[in-house]
Amino acid sequence: MSGQAAVELKGGMYTLLSLQIHSIEADAIELALKNKVQQAPGFFKETPIVIDLSPVEHMPELDTDKLLQLVKDYNLVAIAARVNDKSSPAACSIKLPVLDAGGPRADKSADTAEQDKDGAKDTPATPELTSGGVIDMPVAGPTIVTRPVRSGQQVYAQGGELVVLGQAGPGAELIADSNIHVYGPLRGRALCGVTGNTDARIFCRSLEAELVSVAGNYKPLEEIPADLKGKPAQIWLDGDRLVIEALK
Amino acid sequence: MSKIIVVTSGKGGVGKTTTSASIATGLAQRGFKTCVIDFDVGLRNLDLIMGCERRVVYDLVNLVNQEASLQQTLIKDKRVDNLYILPASQTRDKDALTIEGVARVIHKLKQNEFDYIICDSPAGIEKGAKMALYFADEAIITTNPEVSSVRDSDRILGILQSESRRAKMDEEPVKEHLLITRYNPNRVQEGQMLSVDDIVDLLAIPLLGIIPESQAVLEASNAGKPVILDDESNAGQAYNDAIARLLGEERPHRFMEAQKKGFLKRLFG
Repeated sequence: MSGQAAVELKGGMYTLLSLQIHSIEADAIELALKNKVQQAPGFFKETPIVIDLSPVEHMPELDTDKLLQLVKDYNLVAIAARVNDKSSPAACSIKLPVLDAGGPRADKSADTAEQDKDGAKDTPATPELTSGGVIDMPVAGPTIVTRPVRSGQQVYAQGGELVVLGQAGPGAELIADSNIHVYGPLRGRALCGVTGNTDARIFCRSLEAELVSVAGNYKPLEEIPADLKGKPAQIWLDGDRLVIEALK
Repeated sequence: MSKIIVVTSGKGGVGKTTTSASIATGLAQRGFKTCVIDFDVGLRNLDLIMGCERRVVYDLVNLVNQEASLQQTLIKDKRVDNLYILPASQTRDKDALTIEGVARVIHKLKQNEFDYIICDSPAGIEKGAKMALYFADEAIITTNPEVSSVRDSDRILGILQSESRRAKMDEEPVKEHLLITRYNPNRVQEGQMLSVDDIVDLLAIPLLGIIPESQAVLEASNAGKPVILDDESNAGQAYNDAIARLLGEERPHRFMEAQKKGFLKRLFG
């Protein structure tokens, strides 16, 4: 038992979901939360999240207690709040540890960060500036599924890509925060970018899906072009238009 | 070492009990000590198809509840040596089964040196079906050539992959076999049924056999005699082929082609 301390402090990087708040209206927040959770019931259950208050942190009307209660009601576990200014009203009132914005985000958008520094110190960052990278998650490794995904089964690749080597049967659900690749026939549902990544794409060798979705924009089988059925295809988001096209 | 095979499908009425009876009988005919268990508690059928309904004294639930011994409960088949039937209870329901209780029964069968234990699953994906597949080493997925049956089979394959003992213990997965029953090549040709290729493509598991739709199956059930004992019938021969494949033999698949109707048959049906 010698040598090993009972506790040890270590630094670490963790993949976390962040919930960005764009409204101070509790009803609007609740509705949006409800919709999000309904898209993948079960997957948000007990998920640790960071509440990103930066768009609304300077609005004293925001009821942070109510917000935390809502988040709790939808089975999410808030572990911290993220703000740009630790002295803002929201940062002071929320009963959570407060994280400063910055970190990896700052070097990714260096220009924006520079602008922030040049501007008046107390000027809050506008929502436009921060909403560029809503979810700036360190990419997790791909989830690779070597067996067929059967009807009624759900696979969720949290924080990364999902690769399915076999088929996904009708009634199966493939869910990923990033891209989805399916090498067998895709007959079930495929939802990529479920946490808001609009750059996520679905690639498949035989498109027979019941439903495809990128960052919440979906199309059911009926709306999938008939000439693409059973063909290799990719699905991606162009603005808010879902594009389904042949893979050449 | 006993091998446990579950016969399951998700959907009802596709031929699970007929298949369980014939597979168990076929294995016993080849000299393996075999027991077939009816898990359909409350809707006892296996004993009818095996023709031993008048000899049922104790049943699976009595055994699970330790109200009777294995020797008292097992019914020895009169036609085939090495074959034993463990009937379901007619008066209880599926809640009477527990994993611990079933585990005890399986353990006793293993102690009695059974080579094969065939579990005849009830329809559905609820407790009874999960209980029947929990201990399986291999699974025979019984499917009719129609869309809803294939879909349900896909669902039950998913449950095998996630809720069987092998899955939970992270052991080698349950070995899956596809058995297509009530196959009618003429109706496939007319587009009224899915073809073998369609089904294999949809389910992506190895094909164990194709049992043609046959009057002999109904006649055998009514007579309380597993159809495999009817050597003359297509269905009986197809089950024999399936047994051979289950034991590792290579046999070409039969009964897939539509029969050309002769002149007289066309005239008189």
